[in-house]
Amino acid sequence: MSGKKLFLGLLAAVLLVAVPPFLGLGWQNALTNVLIAALFATAFNLLMGQGGMLSFGHAAYYGIGAFAVLHLMRAVEGGLPFPTALLPLAGGLAGLVAGLGAGYFATLRTGVYFALVTLALAELPHALAPHWEGVFGGESGLSSMRMPSMGLDFGSSLQVYYVALGWTVVCVALLYAYTRTPFGRLTLALRDNEQRVRFMGFDAHAAKTLVFGVSAMMTGIAGGLLALSSETANYNIFSSHVSAQVVLHVFVGGSGLFFGPVIGATVLTLFSFLASEMTRAWLLYQGIIFTLIMLYAPTGIAGVVQAHIAARHRLPWGRLAGPYAVAAIGGLLAAAGTVFVVQMAEHVFSQTYRAAAAQGRWGDVALFGLTWAPHNPATWLAPLAVFALGIVILRRVRAPIARLWHGGEDEADTAASQPAHGAA
Amino acid sequence: MKFAHAAAAIALTVPMAAAPLAGAKAEALRIAIIESLSGGQTSTGRPNVLGASYVIDKLNAAGGFNGDKIVVTEYDNGGNTAGASAKFKQALADGVHIVIQGSSSAIAGQLSEDVRKHNLRNKGKEVLYLNVGAEAMELTGEKCHFHAFRFTTTAPMRVGALVRVMKEAGTLGGRVYSINQNYSWGQDMEAAIKGNAAAGRYEVVETVLHEVNRIQDFAPFVAKIQAAKADTVITGNWSNDLLLLMKAAGASGLKARFATAFLDQPGNIGNAGDVALGHYVAHTYNAEATDGVMAEDYKKVTGHYPAYVEPNTINGVKMLAEALKAVDFKGGAIDVDKLALALENVTLTTDTGVQSIRKEDHQAYLPVVVSRVEAGVKYPVDGTNLGFRPVKVLPSDQTIYPVQASCKMTRPN
Repeated sequence: MSGKKLFLGLLAAVLLVAVPPFLGLGWQNALTNVLIAALFATAFNLLMGQGGMLSFGHAAYYGIGAFAVLHLMRAVEGGLPFPTALLPLAGGLAGLVAGLGAGYFATLRTGVYFALVTLALAELPHALAPHWEGVFGGESGLSSMRMPSMGLDFGSSLQVYYVALGWTVVCVALLYAYTRTPFGRLTLALRDNEQRVRFMGFDAHAAKTLVFGVSAMMTGIAGGLLALSSETANYNIFSSHVSAQVVLHVFVGGSGLFFGPVIGATVLTLFSFLASEMTRAWLLYQGIIFTLIMLYAPTGIAGVVQAHIAARHRLPWGRLAGPYAVAAIGGLLAAAGTVFVVQMAEHVFSQTYRAAAAQGRWGDVALFGLTWAPHNPATWLAPLAVFALGIVILRRVRAPIARLWHGGEDEADTAASQPAHGAA
Repeated sequence: MKFAHAAAAIALTVPMAAAPLAGAKAEALRIAIIESLSGGQTSTGRPNVLGASYVIDKLNAAGGFNGDKIVVTEYDNGGNTAGASAKFKQALADGVHIVIQGSSSAIAGQLSEDVRKHNLRNKGKEVLYLNVGAEAMELTGEKCHFHAFRFTTTAPMRVGALVRVMKEAGTLGGRVYSINQNYSWGQDMEAAIKGNAAAGRYEVVETVLHEVNRIQDFAPFVAKIQAAKADTVITGNWSNDLLLLMKAAGASGLKARFATAFLDQPGNIGNAGDVALGHYVAHTYNAEATDGVMAEDYKKVTGHYPAYVEPNTINGVKMLAEALKAVDFKGGAIDVDKLALALENVTLTTDTGVQSIRKEDHQAYLPVVVSRVEAGVKYPVDGTNLGFRPVKVLPSDQTIYPVQASCKMTRPN
């Protein structure tokens, strides 16, 4: 069992090291962003998934880490001897200090109040940064340049990728090791029953502050990696959409599992990399994906995978294959119908098309390699019919799948429908 | 062992197989427009794409450049600098030669710096950055570099033109109030308002810098303007900060005249209504001041007359088009440095005057139109009967300001 895990881990490591040199510049950059997002999400999930504290202001520590690294980078540019690859350390340190300070206040409250305090604390640097020239460089922010060190010039995207890979692997491994320590167990206990932790003689507030600090430290390292990669940062990094993005990554990936956030960050970062080039409506699609996952798979992608792995000996795979294939077809049909309608709408409602239409030129729209007449009702009704068919198929196939999952055992459905909590 | 051999063989042959393919073909000019195209900032990014595509589509219809069609790719920076940086890297991966952007000074600063660093590290594969709308002074000051060009005005150009024309028209008065947004643009405006006091023979009675796009009620500010007995309020405010300020002024019956930089942003006049009557704006283009040929042609393509940031973009990309005519790479590799040198020497006659590039900091010399909101104009805006009547068109030599001492440009040898 553990041998298999080790093999999978090694295989992933080899792939992560050996493949990127053969990829294009675009993919190297995208993978660097994936790594940074994965570390950010994992650090965030230490607080959210394991500590049970939902922070809406993690952009603050991400940004503080980035600015700390930039200041150090500028010092290095000025002649300070410091190895470029170790620059993110400054982000970790700044994140830790800021996190302990902010965590002390935020963890005085729980639940919604905790979330609101973190939100307010994150707004502080966001409002302050554009005006504080000396520290945050005003509106335009700080910028610097990676200096050559230890025989490497750190000019290429590939070298930055390897720096990010090293830091992310080490930090995620440390965070995983953390869950195995007694303090990691205590973190879970804080989430499940804080009162009991107090009865056992622990100082719950101090423990929560420390968890907050560790999460902020790792977040700061992620921010530092971003600063190292983009060589600048400005007050935008403190904006609430950065905080929201990490929440999105964690929920889509699944907060109940240690590697869930990594999966969510990877999927959504790659999705934005690929989809934002193809369509302006990619944020809509991202929103739809998030909504669907929250509605039908609240444990996230990792939760679904985990449920299948947990039940793998029990499930009648042979009999499930058919209904699963039908469900996949239904899902594809529904997705295809939606995408077609959205893309058509994007074309038809674009300024240039409307301008032409106002002059009576209702030109055909080229989409998916074919041309379509927007004034023909069939152009709109056909994809809607495809969408409806997909939905009908999905609804029909739901019951047989549920029956096969239950397989007569009453308690079996708990594995599929309940959040699988616990690290890994 | 065999696997290692195979892997090594693949590792060696893949790049070698790809290399000859890349060099053989004529190089198409690749232009990246990196703008805010999703989320709340779309309305500021979209016009730049429209303006740039309008010119480039015409170039392509006439045969393109270097024996191939010009490839234009739109990249969505998501309205933030990190997104812009990521998209610039993507554009590099796609083989970009020219980056066009304009809807935010912060993003402009990021892209300009990214381009500078890329060019430092990749000699022979330089990229050009064309700023069509970001007005922060530092972009042609301490952040200036050889591969960055600015085709829009800055605060001194707008304020200088406003003061000069309003003084001549006798509508400026002796008491000027400065109210601006508290970030680089607003600070630049305030400095320009103070700097023009001697030339305009006015006194700056009070200066205010306020939060950007956060104030819901400008009544307290209007009360201060009223108490200061200002004749004219000069402001660089845009979007809601301008609209709400004018509405509060209208509600309180403030008599002071507004001299603005962005009153022609679509929607402003429609929202403000008669409150806007008699207020001034300094912009680079006004269809009323032209023969209207370009305006009508632009409307045919996009559905509206060029306004706000679009004219800068159109004319900036037209200057690029002139530069493309001046160079000939004979279907071979595109030399961006040569293109930049050609761009420095372009003189473009637009509908409103002559524009060219200042070699020292790559700021464009631009004519500025000062207009007043009036009824009964040829091109009314926002479905009202109001529009911008040109008071005077200042040629570019009367609007330019000295090169900033902070600009230290390294030119290619």
